[in-house]
Amino acid sequence: MITVNAGNITKGMYLIFKDKPHLVTKTEFMSPGKGSAVMRVKYRSIENGAALEFTYKTNEQVEVADVEKREMEFLYRSGDDLFFMNSKTFDQAEVPMSLIEDQVGYLIPNLKCWVLWYKDKAIGVGLPPNVVLKVIESPNDVAGNRINAPKKTVKLETGAEAMVPIFIKTGEKVLIDTTSGEYLGRVK
Amino acid sequence: MDKTWQKIKKNPDLLKNYFVREKVIQTIRDFFKKEGFHEVFTPVMVPVPSIEPNLEVFETQLRTSTGKQKRAFLISSPEYAHKRLLAAGVGSLFEITHSFRNEEEVSRLHSPEFTILEWYRVNADYKDTMKDFEHLFLEIVGKEKMVYQGQEYDLSLPWPRITVAEAFEKFAGIDIETLLSEEKLLNAGRAKGYVVEPADAKALADKENTTWEQMFYQIFLNEIETKIRDSHKPTFIYDYPLAQASLSRPKKEDPRFAERFEVFLAGVELGNCFSELTDAEAQHKRFEADLAERKKLGKTDFPIDEDFVDALKSGMPMSSGIAVGVDRLVMLAADVPNVSDTIFFSDNELFDL
Repeated sequence: MITVNAGNITKGMYLIFKDKPHLVTKTEFMSPGKGSAVMRVKYRSIENGAALEFTYKTNEQVEVADVEKREMEFLYRSGDDLFFMNSKTFDQAEVPMSLIEDQVGYLIPNLKCWVLWYKDKAIGVGLPPNVVLKVIESPNDVAGNRINAPKKTVKLETGAEAMVPIFIKTGEKVLIDTTSGEYLGRVK
Repeated sequence: MDKTWQKIKKNPDLLKNYFVREKVIQTIRDFFKKEGFHEVFTPVMVPVPSIEPNLEVFETQLRTSTGKQKRAFLISSPEYAHKRLLAAGVGSLFEITHSFRNEEEVSRLHSPEFTILEWYRVNADYKDTMKDFEHLFLEIVGKEKMVYQGQEYDLSLPWPRITVAEAFEKFAGIDIETLLSEEKLLNAGRAKGYVVEPADAKALADKENTTWEQMFYQIFLNEIETKIRDSHKPTFIYDYPLAQASLSRPKKEDPRFAERFEVFLAGVELGNCFSELTDAEAQHKRFEADLAERKKLGKTDFPIDEDFVDALKSGMPMSSGIAVGVDRLVMLAADVPNVSDTIFFSDNELFDL
């Protein structure tokens, strides 16, 4: 059994809580009443999407869920499910939207990513560190001061929004960091 | 990542969050001046800091041109200076100052350097400070309905008050006898499914058994504080078991408990108040126990502040004092998720933490 010290739990880990696998969505370190430290963890059940929270002593050992990564390609979204395919075996997998809501804005067809599996069930997606996305809507450039207002919000082909420099125009492609959502550069 | 000055330059609207601090501090000053308190200004660098077993200090060295070398510490709270002033006869007082805590996790609510408000009302006890707190907070927010991060909170007076024992009984099904006994509380915790025994051989070797204090706070945070948050009202939790007395005095009617309260709102602990211990001998004993605990935990060692104990011996008026995190007040008033959203400039940014 692989465990993690509760003080080292971070967002994005998959852990066993009450015998069931959960995704860590938030962590908060606290030292109540100037006492010894505790770690408050917010979870999302990967079985039913339910939100839960639990506060651990920081020296407690928490079981890590045995999650396996497989490289797959994103195909399409249908209703509340996302479909992926293994480009070698052509096996397909579906993941409910409710389990990966933060990442949907970076998934474009044919994107190579990792599908996460727990006991032969697809439960999540691991994205590459950055993705190239096309700008489909962009407000007119604000005239004048480029130093004080050099950024604007644009809509990307996935429907997600990003802050980009004002010189980016509709139809151009930009590189976006999938962890922070930040603009990294223009792609020719 | 953009620096704060760059973010503000790009989006001057952000400034309104930072300017909330000015208003909050002005409101605090006006409130206490109106109540007849003196505003005092005491050192942030001292020869002996507060003895808190779980707090690590920032240490530096003071050197004079004549070659004198002294250990110096940044305060983790201005409390010892304030109690000297109370003993000297200054009367009710308050201070807004900077304090420092080392080796803590930097989080949404914690910053190594932070702004603290302490006030002491003489000839008063912790119940008087509850009144001060709720009135002050209402004045800061300016209305009875407060919206914070999309949730509405009811600040109408008086705020709910519940004792620690009542809260454990009501929300966790734990009676007083169980609460106050280490063995019984650990058994109750085990029955609820909390980890009590060390999980592996290494922890067992390190004797990392769960303590009464850890179980107390684990039950409190999992079963009580969450319910208080869901009530969408601020709440005073008072009368802590004596083991959690810190610098508070025991209750006359029931010395198993101490006259201390903490106040919670929106899942945030806003203040920690004591009817202050004025008995120099009892204070010295607690300092000795706290220093021993510091050694056990491997924290920086330093002597007891004997000058402070002398001040107590000379006679300190019965007083009630509280420490409040000003950054948290500003965060709530500005409706921003992190204390660092209202600080020029956060340690997080300055030190790349």
